[in-house]
Amino acid sequence: MKAKTILDVIGQRTTSQTGNQILSKRGRLAVALGIGTLAVAGPIAYSIQPFWVYLLVQMLVFALLALSLDFIFGYAGLLSFGHAAMFGAGGYAAALLIREVTASALVVLPTAMLVGVLTAALIGWLSVRARGIYFAMLTLAFAQMIYVATFTDLPAMILDTAMITGGDNGLIGIQLYELFGIDFRNRLNYYYLTLGIVALSLAGLVRLANSPFGRVLQGIRENEERIEFLGYNVRRYKIIAFSISGGFAGLAGGLYVPFQSVAEPGLLHWTVSGELVVMVLLGGMGTLWGPMLGAGLIVFLEDRLGGVESWEIILGSIFVAVVIFAPRGLAGMIIAVRNDPRAALDNAKRALRNYLQEVRG
Amino acid sequence: MTIRGNADELADRNATGERSTDDVALRTDALTKQFGPLTAIDDVSLEIHADGITSIIGPNGAGKTTLFNLLTGKYDPTDGQIRFRGERIDGKPPHEIVRDGIVRSFQITNFFDELTTIENVRLASQARYTGFKPTDFLRHHDSLEEPIADAERVLERVQLADVAQTPAANLSYGQRRHLEIAIALASDPDLLLMDEPTAGMSPEETRETVGLIEDIAADVTLVLIEHDMDIVMDISDRIAVLNEGTLLSVGGPAEIRTDERVQQAYLRGGGYD
Repeated sequence: MKAKTILDVIGQRTTSQTGNQILSKRGRLAVALGIGTLAVAGPIAYSIQPFWVYLLVQMLVFALLALSLDFIFGYAGLLSFGHAAMFGAGGYAAALLIREVTASALVVLPTAMLVGVLTAALIGWLSVRARGIYFAMLTLAFAQMIYVATFTDLPAMILDTAMITGGDNGLIGIQLYELFGIDFRNRLNYYYLTLGIVALSLAGLVRLANSPFGRVLQGIRENEERIEFLGYNVRRYKIIAFSISGGFAGLAGGLYVPFQSVAEPGLLHWTVSGELVVMVLLGGMGTLWGPMLGAGLIVFLEDRLGGVESWEIILGSIFVAVVIFAPRGLAGMIIAVRNDPRAALDNAKRALRNYLQEVRG
Repeated sequence: MTIRGNADELADRNATGERSTDDVALRTDALTKQFGPLTAIDDVSLEIHADGITSIIGPNGAGKTTLFNLLTGKYDPTDGQIRFRGERIDGKPPHEIVRDGIVRSFQITNFFDELTTIENVRLASQARYTGFKPTDFLRHHDSLEEPIADAERVLERVQLADVAQTPAANLSYGQRRHLEIAIALASDPDLLLMDEPTAGMSPEETRETVGLIEDIAADVTLVLIEHDMDIVMDISDRIAVLNEGTLLSVGGPAEIRTDERVQQAYLRGGGYD
């Protein structure tokens, strides 16, 4: 085993893990059970300690974000290193709309999604000619440009007004959504709103992944040249897939900002994009549901270990362990254990032995 | 096969009113491709007739595969033009050229190992039916009836119907080469460019594949790159000889067999068998 790069990890995963379609019947049942469990867990967590619901919402928002990245990264094979741009764009769009126009969720959330789509369409259009790591670098560069523009409130400078993005302070005091008279100051209600949207998003993206369109994306990931010689306009497929992914990232931003009551430039920072890539790899790219687990786990650990000094070392160790023992992430681990627990254990042992041999040289 | 035999066969096809012998499907004019200082294709003007099989031969490095890459849009020519049925196609991206009806099969099997045989073919036939309509995003890919029916027909034709549900990775070498042809056929070509379709095959697989090629040639214009001279001489209606990027000679098998320049450049004065 040579030094493992992200690209090696990508190379190790195959479609056999996903089979003929994303989420078999059993998989769907498991996901439905998971959502049901979360629905029940909400009030319980709330009754124990209201803060837990706050954490659950954060986990769900990042699960949605990781889901959106996995659609383009795991499914279409395009490593976006700039997904924070769409997250932030959606978040700022929500903040501005709520401040200036309306707090109606029925208006703001679809707009946040649309802004995510448009931002991604622009970045995608400028980036998809490049492949592999070059595509990743371009998305990173464009996202950082948007970050700087937000941080310095470039739009306000251009339009010669006092403030649009609020610069490094961001926009504060963003009020909560209005929807059918529900009181979202009760965090439990916001939790259910988020859970519902995340569940719908997962259903929608699974549908998309199993569509003829999704199959072509999978083909692009596996063999881009061949797909082009089958008569598919690869560039257009990539831009559309990237835009769809960006829409869900924007939606996540739209859920996150009113909940935090702040839209600040940190949302767009490249570290958010990087963390997302880790969430997807940790969870198991290309499965859609795996990265959601990865996101939940990382947000949870981040919160629990946040007080510990250099907690990143702990996160890093977990990541290394997953890469060595389960290169297909948590999802791959779960699938392997479900299929054949003994073989899964043997494989893990073998992986450790091989790794130690390689380290010793 | 003699020139006379070819003429008779062509006359027969004309009698059935399929195509005219003089129909030029594809024409290149002064086609040139340079890679830095290297001129891979040098001023090649070639006509591919709609009817029959044209083989492109030449020593290694003669520019055969580069020519295919130019015709299919993988490379843009440095100079010159390519016309398909009278219309310029040079400068078009590969996917548009496929839609125009020019399809290639690859020398190295080049498909999706994790998918089943039929799914590989369906991904090709699907291209003609799906695009960016709302239903293409929302329906399940298993519900694509016409592409699946097309794929089944193609698999029947290349004798892979009984391994339709086998992952492509598990096919034998000969089957993989046939799958490669099947994928090309599923794009419903008018002109099919085949890059060494019999390379590496056993004599029996080769015989089978030659039969398949002749069967395909009945309704598709075929251009082959082929190294096996027996096959070339046997099935070609016309042969184009490339050498160091230039077109050395074009003619029927008998002409090429006796062409001195060809013998010197390619056959090195010796036999081709």
